[in-house]
Amino acid sequence: MRTGVFEESYSELISLYRNPTQTYWTVALVLAALVAPLLLTNHLTSLVNGMMIAAVGVIGLNLLTGTTGLISFGQAGFLAVGGYTAAVLSADYGMPLWLCLPASGLMAAAFGLIVGIPSLRLKGLYLAITTMAFTIIITHIILSAESITHGSSGISTPKPAIFGVELATDKSFYYLILAILTLAILGSANIKRSRIGRAFLAIREQDIAARVMGVPVARYKLYAFVVSSFYVGVAGALMAYHIRFVNVDSFSLVISIEAVSMIIVGGLGSTAGAVIGVVFVLGLAEVLNYVIGSMGGTLGSVSVLELKGFIYGLTIVLFLRFEPEGLMGIYREYKNRWVNWPFRY
Amino acid sequence: MDYFILLTVSGIAIGVIYGLIGMGYALIFKATSVVNFAHGEIMMLISYMAFSIASSWTLPFWGLLLVCVFISAIVGLVIERVFIRPMLGQDVFSTVMVTIGLAVMIRAVVVLIWGADPLLLPTDIGDSGVEFGLVFLYTSQLYAIGLLAFCVLGMWVFLRFSRMGVAMRATAARETTALLMGINVTHVYAIAWAIAAVIAGISGVLLGTIYGLGPDLWTQGLRAFPAVILGGLDSVFGAAISGILIGVLENLSEGYIGQGLKEISGFLVILVVLMIRPYGLFGTPEIERV
Repeated sequence: MRTGVFEESYSELISLYRNPTQTYWTVALVLAALVAPLLLTNHLTSLVNGMMIAAVGVIGLNLLTGTTGLISFGQAGFLAVGGYTAAVLSADYGMPLWLCLPASGLMAAAFGLIVGIPSLRLKGLYLAITTMAFTIIITHIILSAESITHGSSGISTPKPAIFGVELATDKSFYYLILAILTLAILGSANIKRSRIGRAFLAIREQDIAARVMGVPVARYKLYAFVVSSFYVGVAGALMAYHIRFVNVDSFSLVISIEAVSMIIVGGLGSTAGAVIGVVFVLGLAEVLNYVIGSMGGTLGSVSVLELKGFIYGLTIVLFLRFEPEGLMGIYREYKNRWVNWPFRY
Repeated sequence: MDYFILLTVSGIAIGVIYGLIGMGYALIFKATSVVNFAHGEIMMLISYMAFSIASSWTLPFWGLLLVCVFISAIVGLVIERVFIRPMLGQDVFSTVMVTIGLAVMIRAVVVLIWGADPLLLPTDIGDSGVEFGLVFLYTSQLYAIGLLAFCVLGMWVFLRFSRMGVAMRATAARETTALLMGINVTHVYAIAWAIAAVIAGISGVLLGTIYGLGPDLWTQGLRAFPAVILGGLDSVFGAAISGILIGVLENLSEGYIGQGLKEISGFLVILVVLMIRPYGLFGTPEIERV
């Protein structure tokens, strides 16, 4: 009888797929994702696009906060850097999308380095508040650098096009985002099973101990910042193309908090958890929209927004209270129960 | 020179509010090592409650403040009991996220109950004020300065001489040891939340009187962050002093350097200060042993 998955060698321990079953499921998932837009309505495709873009950014945040343990409320700031880089390059300088995406990522990574260096001495909540300060400062810089960013009026981005093919509809854009999300997931999974990822984990658990064991803490903390902000920058660029408009209002501090709540709901430190957290939080918002919408016009538009806010806050609180491991924790628990049945463990 | 004095004095008037708000953050952090991200929202909630009270009964300013102090102590205790106590024993970061969730909820509740339109807190001190040479200060701003001084003094006496205050300092120093010495740590936490809520209530009433109420009143809590960080998250008096510093600095940078700097100068300063002193000006450096 199968009692569990046992790794007998280092290569098994760090392999991307732990067993054939996992490989089959991954293939099935990829196939489903490829077919999905053919079955979905336009509205749903657009929603899924938004989720996948958010997932790219949240996977990046998860590398920083979940894996390395550096709490960051700077997500919105890095998203803004990425989004604005893409918007300025594509709208004002006519650069193609395949150049804009890496450029946004690199730009955000550069900012990640700038934020990372002063943050090396900071820990925990001091770091959280410093990264929050970064978001506020970035917003201000964007508003005041009017000659480049058009200030508060925002920038409209052109339709995404790749190698001359215009991705006019959400469905065609879907495949591009899917490809990038796949790369992001692979990148994150591969970082985590490599030397760098293990160094990140060591820093999260106890950074002095990591240093004693020969992990150059400062360098790896900066790696974490740079890699994470690269992800978030790319997500910001995709966001700019998806919404077709950037404005500082779309990068408020709320986004940072939402991103952190996504990785908590999904399960800190797990790439799959990050994706599930995004789907859950954004899906919840959509379901609430639908439910409140179907209740008819009994509620004013202000109350709808507030009610959503209330339920959203309540979800965070309840999750932390009853399921601190997040949705991935629930999944693991039930999986273990299923595998071990009829025994407890 | 006149311009400088004008900026400084009005900076102090804003800074005392930051100082008051900052003291609330620092007290909770000191006792429970949690940053209460809902502090600004608690402040907003209580100032809206003050609005309801002030519009149903005509109370003098001090009467209203007294009632609000009482109410906010209850609000603080309830929040601690319902949201924070169940998180005991869990990761600090989880508790911090709970306060963020709580913040989102309070923001929603306030708008659901009182609506999104700006309101004016009716008090009997209104627009009266005193002129000192070339600067004019509203009575409410003078009260704010006095109340900050009172709170600082009160906190000092409390932490220095009262039994509960000493217990709180012991808990802040080392929770487990305090527990072993027979200190009821959960009580200490509850009291810390109650006092922080009272300070939030006082600053809420003052803000409502000086600037009026609106659904974005909670951002004042955010604006006070630089003050707490500059002072050191665990230093109650540091927060009071650096609140004033930040207030003055914001005004000076806006007046002399550029428009709009007011919003971010505080954050810029803490970035620099934290590089040199990662625990703020008055915070306790944490010595780590592995």
